[in-house]
Amino acid sequence: MKKMTSRQKSEAIWGLAFVAPTIIGLLILNYYPIFETFYQSVCKTGDFGIGNEFIGLKNFVTLIHDKEVFRTLFNSFRYAAVSLPVTIAISLVLAVLLNRKMKGRGIYRTIYFLPMVCAPAAVAMVWKWLFNQNYGLLNHIFGTDINWITDPKIAWISVIIVGVWSGIGNNMILLLGGLQDIPKDYYEAAAIDGSTGIHSFFHITIPLLSPMLFFIIQTGIIGALQLFDLPFMLMDQSSRAWPTVKTITYLFYEYAFEKGDKGYGSTIVVFMVVIIGIITFILQKTEKKWVHYE
Amino acid sequence: MKKGIIIKKGLALGLSAVFVFSMAGCGSSGENSGNGGSGGGDTIRVGIWDNNQLAGLQEIADEWGEENGYNVEFEVLDWSTYWTMLEAGVQGGEMPDVFWMHSDNATKYMGAGVLLDLNDYIENDDAMDLSNYYEGITELYNMDGAQYAIPKDHDTIAVIYNKAIFDKYGVEYPSDDWTWEDYADAAQEISEKGKADGVYGTYCNVANDQDTWYNIVYSYGGEIINDDRTASGLDEQATIDAMKFVADEIVPACPPQDTMASTGGDTMFLSGLIGMECQGSWAVGTFADADNASDYGWALLPYADVNGNGQCEPGERCSIYNGLGWAAYANTKNPDAAYSLISFFCSEEGQNKQSELGVTMSGYIGCSEPFAKAFGDMDISPFVDIEEKGTLVFRPYSKDTSLWMDDNSEILVDAWTNPDNMEADLKQAADNMNQILADE
Repeated sequence: MKKMTSRQKSEAIWGLAFVAPTIIGLLILNYYPIFETFYQSVCKTGDFGIGNEFIGLKNFVTLIHDKEVFRTLFNSFRYAAVSLPVTIAISLVLAVLLNRKMKGRGIYRTIYFLPMVCAPAAVAMVWKWLFNQNYGLLNHIFGTDINWITDPKIAWISVIIVGVWSGIGNNMILLLGGLQDIPKDYYEAAAIDGSTGIHSFFHITIPLLSPMLFFIIQTGIIGALQLFDLPFMLMDQSSRAWPTVKTITYLFYEYAFEKGDKGYGSTIVVFMVVIIGIITFILQKTEKKWVHYE
Repeated sequence: MKKGIIIKKGLALGLSAVFVFSMAGCGSSGENSGNGGSGGGDTIRVGIWDNNQLAGLQEIADEWGEENGYNVEFEVLDWSTYWTMLEAGVQGGEMPDVFWMHSDNATKYMGAGVLLDLNDYIENDDAMDLSNYYEGITELYNMDGAQYAIPKDHDTIAVIYNKAIFDKYGVEYPSDDWTWEDYADAAQEISEKGKADGVYGTYCNVANDQDTWYNIVYSYGGEIINDDRTASGLDEQATIDAMKFVADEIVPACPPQDTMASTGGDTMFLSGLIGMECQGSWAVGTFADADNASDYGWALLPYADVNGNGQCEPGERCSIYNGLGWAAYANTKNPDAAYSLISFFCSEEGQNKQSELGVTMSGYIGCSEPFAKAFGDMDISPFVDIEEKGTLVFRPYSKDTSLWMDDNSEILVDAWTNPDNMEADLKQAADNMNQILADE
C-alpha cells in the first residue's frame, strides 16, 4: 500500500473528525444496544440489570412453546397483510389523480398529507373517541351500534382503518415523486400507438414506478410488523378484543418494561429481527423479477 | 448574496452555541442535584406520581426547607413513567433523593439495595416511633429487619352516589347498614329504570380490584393471596362464592363490559351516567372539584352478612387499604437531609397537615380526622368512619404483584362477559398466579 502524503493524512483525520459525532452516536445508541439485546436474550436478567445470569437458549425454548408469541405475531402479520395493500392502492390512485393539472391541487395534496403531521398518539386518541360505541361520533352519524374497538371480530379492522388513514399521505407524496420522474414522452408515444389511459397506467406507470413501490412495500412491511402505539393507544387492555390486536412489539414491551423481564423481552426482539431479516431477504431476491430500473 | 452567507453563518453559530449551552446545562443540573451536603441553599429532589398531591406536599416541604435551608424540588410523573424513571435512574445512578414507594414494587427495590436503610436514623430520632403507623404499611416496607420507608398515608374505600339519579328513579340513598346485596339490588333497580336514558346503577370493571371487588371478596371471607404470600386464594370456595356474586349481581348492573373497556368509570360517573360506585380516598379531589359536586354524596362501604344475623360483625365489612412510603435513595449525597425531610413528612405535625390540606389520609394513626373536613361542604366522613365500623385489610401483594394482577384482570375479562365461566376463570387465574409466586 502506498504511503499517504501529509495532505491525505490531514484530510483523513479531518474527515474522521467530522463524521466522529455520527459514528460515536451510532456506536453508543445503535450498535451497543444491539449487542446488549443479543446478550440479554440468553440471560435470566436480574432487577435493575444487576445479576444477569447466563442460561443459554432457555428463553428461546420458552419462546417456541409460547402460544402468545405466535398469536401476537399473527396479529402483526394480519395487520401488515391487509393494511399495506390497501394503503398502497389508495395512495397510488390519489397520487395519479393529483399528478394531473387540476384546480386546488396544492390544497388536496396538503389535506391528504395532513395526517402525517399529526402525532400518532394524538391521532389514536381522537379515533378512540370517534370509535366509542356509546358516545362516539361514528355510530352517532351512521345511526349504528357497532362495537368498533371492543368486538374481537371488528377491532382489528378498526386498527387497520386508522393505520391506513394515517399512512396514505406519506405514501402518496413518495409516489407523486416517482410519478413526476416518468418522462411524458412515453405516454405520448403510447398514445400515438393507440394506448388508452388505463392501459398506459398498467404498462407504463406501474413498471416505471416499481422502484418506488418496492421501497414503499419493504419499509411498509417492516413498519407494520413493528406496530405498537396504535393499538396501545386505541384500546383499553381490559377490552375483550385486546388479545386480537395485541402485536408482538407490544408483547416485547409488556415483558421488558411492564413485567421487568428484560431477558425474555430481548428474546422476542431477536426473534423478530430474524423474521424481518427473512422477509427482507425474500423481497430482495424477488426484486429483479418485477422491479424495473430505467 | 453576501448578506445571505452572513445570516447563515450567524444561524449556524447561534445554533451550535445553543447546543453547547444546553449540553452544559444538562451537566451542571446533574451535578447540582448530587452535590449537596455543603450547607444552605442545596436542593433535595423529590419524586412523586400524583399531581393532585403536589400543591399540598410542596407546602409541607417548603416549611421544612425554610427551617433547614434547603430547596425542595418536586418531580411529578404519571404512574407508569414514574416506575420507568426509577428503574432507569437506578441503573444510571441518577435518582431523586426522596421518593414514594408502593406495594407493587417495594420488595424488588428493597431487595436490590437501592433504598436507604433507615434503621439508624429512626433509632437516633426521638420523635419517630414506628408503632404510631398502620402496621400493614410499616411491615410492607420492612425487609429482614431493615426499615426502608416510613408510611406516608393510607387509603380507605367508600361509596360515592349521585343523588340526582337516585331521586329521579325513586331509589333510596345508600345507607350505613347496607349489605352488598342491598347495594346490588339498588344498582340493578337503577339500571332497569334508567335503561332509556343510558344510566346504569354502578360501575365495576375487571381492573376495579382495590376499590371494588377485592373488598367484596374479603368481606365474604375470601382472599386473593394467602397470609404467607405463597399461594393464590382465588380458588378458595369463599372467594369463588364472592366472585360469583360479583358476576351475577354486580356486573349485570354495570354498563356492558365493552362500554367499560372504552369509557372509564370516573368519566361516566362525572357525566351523570352512573348511580353509584366505590371509590378510594385518593380520588376524592376529582369529585370535589366536579361541576355537579353538590349532587354527590358519600356512604359507608356495604358489608356482607355472611352469618345472616342482619348485623355487621367484625370482618364482614372490609376495606382494602394501601399506603405509600417515603423512601430515600441509598446513594443520595445528602442522606441526613433526606431522612430529615422524610421524618418531617411523617411526623404527627406533617401528617395532620397532609390531612388538613386534603392531600390524603395519614399513615400516622389518628391524624386522618381533618381529612373528612378538607373538602368544604362535601362530607367525606365515611372514609374515616370505616376505620371504626369496618375492618381494614392490607392490599394483597407479593414480590411481583403487578405480574399476577395484570394477568388476573386479563383472565377475568371473560368472566365479566360470561358470568357462568367465573369459577373456571378463577381456577385458571389461581394456577397462573401460583406459578408466578413459585418463581419469585
